[in-house]
Amino acid sequence: MLLIGAAAGLLVAMSLMIARAIMGPSHYDRILAANSFGTKTVLLLAIIGFVFGRPAFLDIALVYALINFVTTIALMKFFRYRSLAAPLTTHTPKEGGNG
Amino acid sequence: MTGYIPGFDANLALDAILLVMLVVIVAAIAATHRMLSAVILMGLYSLVSAVWLVVMDAADVAFTEAVVGAGVSTIVLLGAILLTRGAAAKVSGRRRFLPAVLALGVGAILIYATLDLPDFGDPASPANAYVGRAYLEATGNDMGIPNVVTAVLSSYRGFDTLGETVVIFAAAIGVAIMLGFGERAMADRTIEPLAGGPADHHVVLRVAAKLLIPIIALYAFYVQFHGDLGPGGGFQAGVILAVAVILHALVFGLKDTMAAVKPKFARGVAALGVLLYAGIGVTCIVNGGGFLDYDHLFPRHIEAQIPDWILGPADPAHPHHWGQHFGIMAIELGVLFTVAATMVTIFYGFAGRSMEAPQPGAPRSGAA
Repeated sequence: MLLIGAAAGLLVAMSLMIARAIMGPSHYDRILAANSFGTKTVLLLAIIGFVFGRPAFLDIALVYALINFVTTIALMKFFRYRSLAAPLTTHTPKEGGNG
Repeated sequence: MTGYIPGFDANLALDAILLVMLVVIVAAIAATHRMLSAVILMGLYSLVSAVWLVVMDAADVAFTEAVVGAGVSTIVLLGAILLTRGAAAKVSGRRRFLPAVLALGVGAILIYATLDLPDFGDPASPANAYVGRAYLEATGNDMGIPNVVTAVLSSYRGFDTLGETVVIFAAAIGVAIMLGFGERAMADRTIEPLAGGPADHHVVLRVAAKLLIPIIALYAFYVQFHGDLGPGGGFQAGVILAVAVILHALVFGLKDTMAAVKPKFARGVAALGVLLYAGIGVTCIVNGGGFLDYDHLFPRHIEAQIPDWILGPADPAHPHHWGQHFGIMAIELGVLFTVAATMVTIFYGFAGRSMEAPQPGAPRSGAA
């Protein structure tokens, strides 16, 4: 019962995120909604895995958490700099060279 | 999930909510004219559909949908926006009429076709009654690995998977033909760092990325070698490994990444993966079996020499299937090579090309 309540709460939150992602108004709202939606998805998957007795679903939840991070960085970088290739640093290339 | 509240099927409710979400998101994608909104919404669509696949107990497919749909596709589509205009052209109402009728018509036919589908999980349905049941019953005896999906994908249907691997390799070739390998980005001119104020030093991001990149790569190898036991395998692991490289490029710049993972190396590995996969198949022929018949991967006298401790002591009734174990491991490795290297090559193509393309508003430079 508790878990179903948690899942229902997450689904309500996810619906709100979808509404925000569709309505905007700015792209920043959409990116934030997408990132938050990804986090909710991780939690929902964990709950589903627990309810169904399939701990292997946690593997998928973990991969979501990792992928969501990278996607959000790509979206933010695109949003801020209109570029995917440039390094995120204010150093000049000579003193940079980090890697 | 049923039984807590009489008359309330939580499973059905979950299915319904997720499907409604999908419909709403798709309608919004169709309605929007701004490409960035469409890309974000497609990411959401992938997340929801992957959750739904998990609910349907298709863990391996959900894994792929998560890493490809929500991860790499979003990033590649962002690269595509950089190469095109950021908004769709306005189309007059009359020219939208025929595509709309076509799409709705095909959709209606597909929905009508679902009426004939067997119930979900119906044991008498054709998929579960004949071939599927045979695979489920035979896998334990034939190869002794717990994940039947992996057994079907890489052994029973190994030839199909070889075809898929070649298709992925062909995707890399296709992108390279259109956009190049992105290598000119590395070669000819210095990439100026992004202009920004003191708030744009991104120290937190760089430190977090340095911590996360090895963990993502490690997780890829876990998915790779755990594929026999749980959801996952070469396809998923390859994409996750590529995501680690892409994260490096996003944070430290494409040039540094290309110095670490050279474009030449990436496309070489993509070809090597296909070669490894097909080579295993040919080895099986040489040793007296059919193509990709892993039971004949090793000659008999060599197979007898393999020590039992690799997999633990064998049950006398069920001897180890060394050919199957090593064959599946080797072809999964080939899939990993090809998928990871292909994804990296595609990303290099898009990201490198976008640096050559003139920026919107900026004067066209001679080098581009």
